[in-house]
Amino acid sequence: MHKWGMVIDLDRCSGCQTCMAACHAENNIAIIGPEESAMGRTIHWIELLPFIEGEYPHIKARLLPRPCMHCEHPPCIKVCPVGATYTNEEGIVGIVYSRCIGCRYCTTACPYTVRSFNWYEPQWPKEMKGSLNRDVSIRRKGVVEKCSFCHHRLLKAREMAKSEKRELLSEDYIPACVQACPSNAMYFGDLNDPFSTVSILSRERRAFKLLEDLGTEPKVIYLSEGM
Amino acid sequence: MGGGAGAAIALGGGFWKWSQFPPAERSNGPGVERWIPTVCGQCTGGCGILVRVIDGWAVNIAGNPLHPVNRGTLCPKGIAGLQGLYDPDRIRTPLKRIGKRGEGRYQPITWEEALHLVSESLKDLRQKGEAHHLVVLGGRYRGLMRSLWDRFLNSFGSPNYIDNQFRWEEPPVEGLFLTQGIDSLPAYDIENAQYILSFGSGILESPWSPVQMLRGYGHFRRGRPGIRGRLVQIESRLSFTGIKADEWVPLQPGTEGILALGIAHMIIKEGLYHNEFISGQTFGFESWTGPDGREHLGFKEFVLSEYEPTVVSKRTGVPIDQLIRLAREFSSSQPSLAIGYRDRPFHQMAVAILNGLMGNIDVSGGVLIPRSIPYQSLPPLKEDAIAQRGNSQKRIDEGKGISVNHPYLFAGNTLSRKPYKPKVLFLYYTNPLFSNPDPGLFSKALQEIPLVVSFSPYMDDSAQLSDLILPDHTPLERWQDDPFFLNSGFPVLGIRQPVIPPLYRTKATGDFLLALTRSLGGQIQKAFPWNDFKEVMMVSLKGVFEAKRGDTFGLQFDEAWTRLLQRGGWSVPSYKNFEEFSKLLLEKGGWWDPVYDFGERDRVFRTPSRKFEFYSQGWKKARSSSSGEWKDSSFLPHWEESKETGNEKEYPFHLHVFRTMSLTGGRNANQPWLQAMAGQHLFEKWKTWVEINPVTAKRMSISDGEWVWVESPRGKVRVKARLYKGAMPDVVSIPFGQGHSSGGRWSKGLGQNPYRLIGDDLDPITGYPIHGTTRVKIYKA
Repeated sequence: MHKWGMVIDLDRCSGCQTCMAACHAENNIAIIGPEESAMGRTIHWIELLPFIEGEYPHIKARLLPRPCMHCEHPPCIKVCPVGATYTNEEGIVGIVYSRCIGCRYCTTACPYTVRSFNWYEPQWPKEMKGSLNRDVSIRRKGVVEKCSFCHHRLLKAREMAKSEKRELLSEDYIPACVQACPSNAMYFGDLNDPFSTVSILSRERRAFKLLEDLGTEPKVIYLSEGM
Repeated sequence: MGGGAGAAIALGGGFWKWSQFPPAERSNGPGVERWIPTVCGQCTGGCGILVRVIDGWAVNIAGNPLHPVNRGTLCPKGIAGLQGLYDPDRIRTPLKRIGKRGEGRYQPITWEEALHLVSESLKDLRQKGEAHHLVVLGGRYRGLMRSLWDRFLNSFGSPNYIDNQFRWEEPPVEGLFLTQGIDSLPAYDIENAQYILSFGSGILESPWSPVQMLRGYGHFRRGRPGIRGRLVQIESRLSFTGIKADEWVPLQPGTEGILALGIAHMIIKEGLYHNEFISGQTFGFESWTGPDGREHLGFKEFVLSEYEPTVVSKRTGVPIDQLIRLAREFSSSQPSLAIGYRDRPFHQMAVAILNGLMGNIDVSGGVLIPRSIPYQSLPPLKEDAIAQRGNSQKRIDEGKGISVNHPYLFAGNTLSRKPYKPKVLFLYYTNPLFSNPDPGLFSKALQEIPLVVSFSPYMDDSAQLSDLILPDHTPLERWQDDPFFLNSGFPVLGIRQPVIPPLYRTKATGDFLLALTRSLGGQIQKAFPWNDFKEVMMVSLKGVFEAKRGDTFGLQFDEAWTRLLQRGGWSVPSYKNFEEFSKLLLEKGGWWDPVYDFGERDRVFRTPSRKFEFYSQGWKKARSSSSGEWKDSSFLPHWEESKETGNEKEYPFHLHVFRTMSLTGGRNANQPWLQAMAGQHLFEKWKTWVEINPVTAKRMSISDGEWVWVESPRGKVRVKARLYKGAMPDVVSIPFGQGHSSGGRWSKGLGQNPYRLIGDDLDPITGYPIHGTTRVKIYKA
């Protein structure tokens, strides 16, 4: 069984936000206009977070792309009263939109703040509708959404492997953000395979996870900047 | 596998929503997906893309893995290209103005009517012997469209093609001209550099080829085992490049040039420069005697006497020890690269000579000069008598020197009617009412011109003042060639092809131009024997086929193989005849020549001395016709103190205008995905903000998120104050990209354009306003 994980090398990352745009295009994330944005209602499944510390001129600043961590022990699942969010056996944390009642306990419980709420029915001008990705469903008003590691791509890859009568290889499946990243800062693969790129990188000296002390055991691993 | 199927329902739940997608015009059967290669048109980065097309809808964009510029990756703008295509507020048919100028009342007309209107007024110009009163203002694009415009104006009889490029998105080309005599773009081999000293160059947020630069950056940092490149960013604000850099060196706005001279001073004083290169391949380093027996000052003597660290430190605010350390680091970590921005020409030159001092010209990890694409040139054309008379007229911007294009002088001269007033203006791929400082000047100039024709697909700020709008296809709907190069200096030719049929009644401007020549008739028609732009492209591509170099795009393995063969004098391309060649071009996305020829001095140094010039003889030559006394220091890299707009007492802050990755170039404000990430370091989106140092803001009792006025002697804008630790205490920064006075639902009336604050103090060489000289004051709104 695969265990999917991601490695983000912050030394290669340039902070360009391609991952954010690629995610929007791939996952039909709603366009949140200026008024709604001002109320903090934007939705990003992966977002570039700034950490700017110190006082001028002694500043230490960092930029950190943050998708869903797909924790081994996800706090969001424990608080969901209706079982709308779950972990599958490959370690991906998913949401059943039709079960979600919009209570937003999970958005509060998630220490990484990766979950967003749909405050209204996502809408596109009619000229644009045909350009939505047909592999991903549109959300409804009142449900929570978040990064799925582009799970629909895994389903597609699995179908493809089946039709070619072979086992699924971890190269068959790659999320949109990893595919688009121009500075090759993102890696994706099977953490159960000790020789996969992500496994090798996750054992590197520079490797760390966000808020490790919480015991969530994220499957997104960062490599710190510098030598 | 059962878990997978379960998750299918869970994660993809609600497939019934599919029925909502396509409007009635197109069928919604089971989609057959195709990936069509083309070239992204969101900026001039030249990335190859694959567009996923289902049932005639473009539904996603991915990088083309075969295209060497981006190798399958993209930048945010590239992905948002879809939103450029499907912008609901695109102009859908040709429009004729019926209200007053700028009122925005238009009437749709047919393309036949549009052609008739344009050709009648052009015929009229020629009849009156005023052919030169036709002006084409062109923006940033590449390839044969430019040759077509030149050819059209030539056969018509006007010398007035004026480049109005978005200046600060370009590499420092004037510096390259002064030192190497080249007026095209250089390639910076950042993949192989050890150390990059960036003088205000936005290499990570607004480079000229974003994806290529970012790919290069990844490689520069961690692509070479055991080697990690070091990046130092010198800038008046902590930009994304500054954040990612190992060191950020804040300095007074606009003083990058004098800092470069200070570093050159230390390198020379400590004898750290590349002796062999300086003695063999440069001119003007030591003092020299001209053919007329006159003694001339050398760069070495000049810089040693003028740019002491104390002087430089005082002007820039950079501590002396830091300056000395930078000079030592720059010279000891080889190969090193100094990259500037399009500052004033002699400041660019000051940065360029740092590369010369270290001998990093035409070497791996240095500044490279790419070969051009071997197009077959178009046949010579015959000018008729009217055209000859028109072409011999003075240009309206009276362009001369290293930069013949002076859009500001064009606007000024239009208002003063000297040397003459333009009668017909074509706007192609440019929006001077937005993307230039002092947009008011252009607005006044456009009002003076009897017929303004815009080819913009969107109702941009300049189109709104036009009499006729003849909407071009968007880049995903048209044919275009894209000659470019890589950081490694390899020439690349991308082919842009339509991925879907045009959505609306738009027309490629190239095709319109060809139709126009047919309607004008005579020698003009004879000069254009082609049916459409694609045909022009195919004719020119014959030259590439016949050059017997390079190959169509392939995998990285193929690249190595091609190179190996070519070094041995072989050329084994994957095609045998022109038909195969053109078929492969469209399938793979283009052609390239993965070889860089080092040591071709005639190509690399096109200065009068055929050497790298510390003393610009090329500029001296260009100047010789004009009168006035010239000192030796006028031809050496030197610091020019710029006049400030606004005095310090009344306007206590420097204004720094910066660009962000998402809205660089000012073309993409109509794309919500980009709007939603405009200022991610402060979580700003959809609006314009001003960055203020927190200590300064506290002193002025301005709190985070408050609305303030930023006022310069030229005007004022209302923006949101944001406290930013990366702001210098006496510098406030505003991003460029918002504040369109016209456009669709996602751009009009959102935010402010900081160029309205910038003065019209023009640099005498380039004719552009000088950057970083505007002072402002801030008060609560």
